[in-house]
Amino acid sequence: MIIPPPGMERILFTEEEIQARIREVAGEISAKYQGRPLKLVGVLKGSVFFLTALAREISIPHKIDFLAISSFTSRSGPGVVRIAKDLDDPIEGEDVLLVEDIVDTGFTARYLLRTLAGREPNSLAICTLLDRTSSRIVQVPVEFRCFEIPDRFVVGFGLDYKQLYRNLGYVGVMNPDLAQ
Amino acid sequence: MGLITVSGEAGCRHEEVARLAAGRLGFQLLLEPELRNMIAQEFGAEAALPDKAYVPVVTSILARLATRHHLVVCAQGMEFLFKNQPWILRVHIVAPESRRVGALMVDHNLEREEARQLLRQVEFEDRRNRRRKFRRARAPLEAFDLVLSEEGMDSEPMAGIVEAAARAKGIEEQGLLAPAAEAHMQFQIRLQLSKYGISPPRDVSLKRVPFAHRSEEIFANLLDFYRIAWEYEPRSFVIQFDRDGKPLESFTPDFYLPEFDLYVELTTMKQAHVTKKNRKVKLLKSLYPHINIQVFYQKDFQNLIFKHGLHVEAPS
Repeated sequence: MIIPPPGMERILFTEEEIQARIREVAGEISAKYQGRPLKLVGVLKGSVFFLTALAREISIPHKIDFLAISSFTSRSGPGVVRIAKDLDDPIEGEDVLLVEDIVDTGFTARYLLRTLAGREPNSLAICTLLDRTSSRIVQVPVEFRCFEIPDRFVVGFGLDYKQLYRNLGYVGVMNPDLAQ
Repeated sequence: MGLITVSGEAGCRHEEVARLAAGRLGFQLLLEPELRNMIAQEFGAEAALPDKAYVPVVTSILARLATRHHLVVCAQGMEFLFKNQPWILRVHIVAPESRRVGALMVDHNLEREEARQLLRQVEFEDRRNRRRKFRRARAPLEAFDLVLSEEGMDSEPMAGIVEAAARAKGIEEQGLLAPAAEAHMQFQIRLQLSKYGISPPRDVSLKRVPFAHRSEEIFANLLDFYRIAWEYEPRSFVIQFDRDGKPLESFTPDFYLPEFDLYVELTTMKQAHVTKKNRKVKLLKSLYPHINIQVFYQKDFQNLIFKHGLHVEAPS
């Protein structure tokens, strides 16, 4: 039993709800990519938990790979986003499903799509655990989503607050002011 | 006068390279939409200009701006202007077709074949416009000082190379365009434009307003970080008129993202201010239904702050 973190206001999705929904989405993915060279591409670190759970429910053969991008900070200054850890293998001719923990403004997803699109995949789509459409600034095509969420700060199932709480089995709404 | 022109094949990220290079050098960036707005403000809608007047019109605008700024200009055909001048650096970005098709797939949410067709169409339009305005469908490679390929190189290192080339060529050391030189240039342009009944611009300027709030600066940094082009408060919209049709109230959204043709307004912590802004946004949407605007609410902003571990007050 994991101790709830300070500042946790409520559980948004329980472990059981998440697993059930992942099973449904994995079914949709398995149907859509039947007979195609599917590769799941996870974005470190947030998507690790979701990708692993998703991959185990997808019934068709598929590959997995990971990449990481640099993070924005107030000290980022004139820096720009870049790939901090690239994919291990090429994606040319493969059907790539970019697996995200959350899509909100769309900034990260857009950058990754643009980067991956140049590597000649057969197709490119996004699958996200959480979709906060109310925060969307840049429109990105999210083909598979498990849950749409309100404009609240959430942690758990891969999502962090100061690198903590990714290991929670559920997704909860946190008040960071109370988490200090 | 230091002038860097950045052009690229259809589907290339030349705007991104231009923006990054401008940031590195501290030059002012001028993109196609902003240039088009200036032309429209000074000479009327671009479509009404005779094709042959385009080159002197743009030259006139750039000369005026160059008295106050070193410039990075990313607009079609700029490499044809100011030939053989020591203070110009002409850069061209190329990429394999597969990469450019990929870029269009993402930008327009298309399948590969649709993106390929779009690329053909964009290239056709580009050639037609160049022929119309500059009497040449494309510039030969020797028209550029620097040609860079996106294959195997990201925008950031390319911007670094542009910066190094600009410094090596010493274009900044040439200084800003002297008023006397500008006056001479405008005189020549006036002669050319008189054939079409057009006068050179009176006063074009690149307005650079300081941010009203730290949160806006952070938002701008965030857009820069994700390589998204933006303009700060570029346009005001009249949202209320009196009985005689005179403007009573205006609304100036905080940001404009030209790539998405989208205005973004950041909101306040205080509910009274949020209500006020919501009213303005609602009025704007009803009066200007073709304008896309996205309100970025306080909660959204806070989520960004928490997510990136930043420390800042919410916008006021």
